[in-house]
Amino acid sequence: MSGSKLSGFRVASDKPFLIGLGVLGGSYLLIIGAMVLADVVFLNYSDRPVLGPEMVRQGRYTGGEVVVPVKPGRSYYFRKGKNDAGLRLGQQRIASDGLFLAAGDRAVLLPHASGRPITASLRPEARVMQIAVTNHVATVTTGVAHGLLWGEFIRVRGTGEPGWDGVREITDTATNQISFAVTGAAKPPAKLSLSKPNPLVQALRSRDIRFSIKLSLISCTLTTLLSLWVAVPIGYMMSRFEFRGKPVIDTLLDIPIVLPPLVVGLSLLILFRYMPEWLSDAVVYKWPAVVLAQFMVACAFAVRTMRVTFDQIPQRFEQVALTLGCNRRRAFWRVIMPQARGGLLAAGTLAWARALGEFGPILVFAGATRQKTEVLPTSAFLELQAGRTEGMLAVSLIMIAAAVVVFIIARTLGMKRIFA
Amino acid sequence: MIALENIALRQGSFELSDLSLELAAGEYGVLMGRSGCGKTTVLEAVCGLRNISGGRIILGGRDVTQLPPAERGVGYVPQDRALFPTMLVREQLAFALVLRALGQAEIGGRVDELAELLGITELLDRTPDKLSGGEAQRVALGRALAHRPSVLCLDEPLAALDEELHGEMCRLLERVHRETGVTILHITHSPSEARRLAGCHFRLADGKVTRDENRSCA
Repeated sequence: MSGSKLSGFRVASDKPFLIGLGVLGGSYLLIIGAMVLADVVFLNYSDRPVLGPEMVRQGRYTGGEVVVPVKPGRSYYFRKGKNDAGLRLGQQRIASDGLFLAAGDRAVLLPHASGRPITASLRPEARVMQIAVTNHVATVTTGVAHGLLWGEFIRVRGTGEPGWDGVREITDTATNQISFAVTGAAKPPAKLSLSKPNPLVQALRSRDIRFSIKLSLISCTLTTLLSLWVAVPIGYMMSRFEFRGKPVIDTLLDIPIVLPPLVVGLSLLILFRYMPEWLSDAVVYKWPAVVLAQFMVACAFAVRTMRVTFDQIPQRFEQVALTLGCNRRRAFWRVIMPQARGGLLAAGTLAWARALGEFGPILVFAGATRQKTEVLPTSAFLELQAGRTEGMLAVSLIMIAAAVVVFIIARTLGMKRIFA
Repeated sequence: MIALENIALRQGSFELSDLSLELAAGEYGVLMGRSGCGKTTVLEAVCGLRNISGGRIILGGRDVTQLPPAERGVGYVPQDRALFPTMLVREQLAFALVLRALGQAEIGGRVDELAELLGITELLDRTPDKLSGGEAQRVALGRALAHRPSVLCLDEPLAALDEELHGEMCRLLERVHRETGVTILHITHSPSEARRLAGCHFRLADGKVTRDENRSCA
């Protein structure tokens, strides 16, 4: 042991440690923020034009510039591909995506590198050619095939006549015709323009998605109430009492958390084969199945939370309350539950959020029937299946909004406890 | 009065048997013993918070062995005080009285009386987290005395207090004892603390309670 080592001892700086903490924690926070923000930013909130068929024949051209004939005075929508620098129109050059008015009769696609395929898109805007009104139903004929589907929504702007403006549901389609109801409008307007409202409006207008929002809100709230009703006594029991077989019960309580969600749904489905017929008829593939599937998973999380909550409240409080004149029930309600309020809110929020996101078990146990057992995750799944990524994103945004609102409510209620 | 007659206790591997202790009504009893010798366990048994496997517990002339804590007429001040975090000081003092369904005026009167006795009138509208250690101790004492128990059980009430507060608290306990006439069982691990307190002294060691003959009881 040398003297200099003892007297001149110096400790290394704390900076690397603190920076490490900041970087590791910060990167995760950044990903969380970016993840949510990406959903919000990705969605284009403006209306979209109604477009006709594709004019660039994909996979056809590989060499050099490509000439596509256009009609002067018409609007076209251009979207760049990976190998496109832009579009030339006479003297005009268009480098970004969007609608443009054709000045000449030819548009030239400009590839970055010749020899590689062009994947740009050029589509004419569908113009209204003819409007007919019969019995408050308007039938609009477009110049080109519009690609709109029955049940979609369309924003209508009519000049000169009242009763035309607004978002309408398409009730009938043909290749270049659409029909929608126009109550209160008798005469066609002088000029009519059509556009597709953004996916969020489409989703919020859709009867199916409105139903799924309603079912989600109701089923999640029911699930939360049921979960708390069960989680409070189980959490209290597991926290306060010692009994034989407690480790087994503890393991059982965790099963819904560790089991793959699909298996939970399948197990429920099989379980109900053994139930009396009237019961399984009332539950399976009906809305009660949605609540039960959500409850099975959400409740396990609520139980965990309540148990930790009660574990953190020393038993001493009950003991003092007992000597002061309480029985166990009164000590629980007067002394323990007021202290468990924060935990109760946390358990409720957690159960609600879990229930909102529950998908696998619902799909298996309740099915994915529109207007019957469709909840928001089911809607997102159905939108994706139909190839409507933007629709799925819109449903996701609705879910994010619902979760944020519930989270804020819970936080505000929690704050009151702190400031009271 | 407090009388433990040959009680037997078991808590995990810890065991006490054939333990007896007698304290006359209105006396101030100090039970001493090393940490971990089972003082708190004995106190909990008196309060009815721990089941005894044998013997009898007699409080104020009543056999309370089979009674729940609520019916034993004890006031309990645990070592950590355990003030209810969600209640104001006023509500803590009124707690036992509200449970007994007393009238508003009666409760108010008793709360003011206790607050005056303990010098906590200024603190009535505070929550426990806004109290210092000494203040919290007074409130816990007040809460335990509210329903006029015949026996007051104090678990290391002077631990974790600084020297100055220590003396003040000793005087307060003596005053409470004098003015209420309650039988007090006070436990402590500190012999010096025991010396400062008046009354009967008992020592718990090796599972036996012995009376300190040097400190005669009244």
